[in-house]
Amino acid sequence: MKSISLFEEKHSFLNGLSPETKLLYVVVAIAFPALVGGTVPQLAIMLLSIALLAGSKILTKSKPIIAVSGFVLLTVVIVQTFFRGGAYTELFRIGPLVARREGFDYSLGIVLNVFNIIFAFCVFVLATKPSDMMQSMVRRGISPRLGYVFVSLFQIIPQMTEHTSTITDAQRSRGMQTEGSLGTRVRAFLPLISPVIMSSFTDTRERSIALEVRGFNSHERKTFLDEFVPSSADRPVRIALLALLTLGVAFFVLRIVGVVSWPR
Amino acid sequence: MSSKREGSPWSLKLNTASLVLIPAAIGINYVGKLFASMLKLPLWLDSIGTCLSACMAGPVVGALSGFLTNVIYGLTMDPISTVYGLTQAGIGIAVGLMAWYGHMRKAPGILVAGLVAGLVAVCISTPLNMAFWGGSTGNVWGDAAFAAMGSQGFLASAVDEIIVDLPDKIVVLFITAGIYKVLPKSLISLYQAKDESLD
Repeated sequence: MKSISLFEEKHSFLNGLSPETKLLYVVVAIAFPALVGGTVPQLAIMLLSIALLAGSKILTKSKPIIAVSGFVLLTVVIVQTFFRGGAYTELFRIGPLVARREGFDYSLGIVLNVFNIIFAFCVFVLATKPSDMMQSMVRRGISPRLGYVFVSLFQIIPQMTEHTSTITDAQRSRGMQTEGSLGTRVRAFLPLISPVIMSSFTDTRERSIALEVRGFNSHERKTFLDEFVPSSADRPVRIALLALLTLGVAFFVLRIVGVVSWPR
Repeated sequence: MSSKREGSPWSLKLNTASLVLIPAAIGINYVGKLFASMLKLPLWLDSIGTCLSACMAGPVVGALSGFLTNVIYGLTMDPISTVYGLTQAGIGIAVGLMAWYGHMRKAPGILVAGLVAGLVAVCISTPLNMAFWGGSTGNVWGDAAFAAMGSQGFLASAVDEIIVDLPDKIVVLFITAGIYKVLPKSLISLYQAKDESLD
């Protein structure tokens, strides 16, 4: 069945780590630079994430994710470089627009932060199977019913989006315009979305009956069909991450007290 | 739309019907966003499912649908959108409560509900925009206003968000109310009966 998950099994180092460990990596990758301060830790962790992705042969799979945020980042750089208020140092001019060093530097900080978060997230998202994420959530006490909701999403959404092209064609063949002025396009929205909504609600009814007759509401303890076993590296990696986090917190406290400082 | 109901809006049990409503609502959010970008509309229209599920099954299901929508976005397209799950959850709660207390029946009530949902979205999203994007939203009209106000500060960022969010939520709630009215009664009763069960 088609799934929107970006996960791909490569039997790599990252695939062998448990979902919790990879999620902890995301937390450390975001928290550690924030605690320590400065751009060097951020850059170092971002490079580490890229190396991990490349090592697991999934770096190219991060391209679509980079593209989505990259566009917003481009607007951030433009908005900050040319329009940031306050005193400024001129970098260059394009017509009446002045590029300002202060705004540009500020936007670079945002770009670095966002890229660090994205690559860290990719380590988690691209190397973790959704059903394994669900398994570890259920083990941690989340209801298996909610676990079902989570996993089913990866299949229901592609089913629904596939439906959209059929509906668009059907409505066009009935003479509906999907191009033209804003008014025309706004009017097209309702005839397009309402069949999707109606059919998805009908499916909902059928799906809930199908689940109930299969004992979805049973209070018996649920077991896992395909149990995830983490590799031997999982434990040491998790300990190292926790140590790094503790180190970051200690550094933060010392920095607040004024004992140490980071060269900016 | 439904008049004021009995009991507490928070006491809803997550029965099977409500649980399968959540994936459907998230799918509708997805498809709404897809059609909006296909038709090149200047709005997001990515919370119709959240609002519909909130109207049908209350604020808890609405909030869960909204939050999970962004978690799924985060896991499949845009990691940073995960934190905006808080915004969608806020919208779900606001709309769920407005519908629960019967404010979604007539146009003025729907307009108020849209304004409330929009303001909730602005209050939650603006600090997130400041933290992650320096205050921008990524929407052309909002960012133009943000740039005109000097590209910094909470106020400029809030204005950026208001320009995008308020019209979006008002339109979304009118669409939601329109669709809700034509939904089969047998479907709605699945969520609003006192002790609903398919047994």
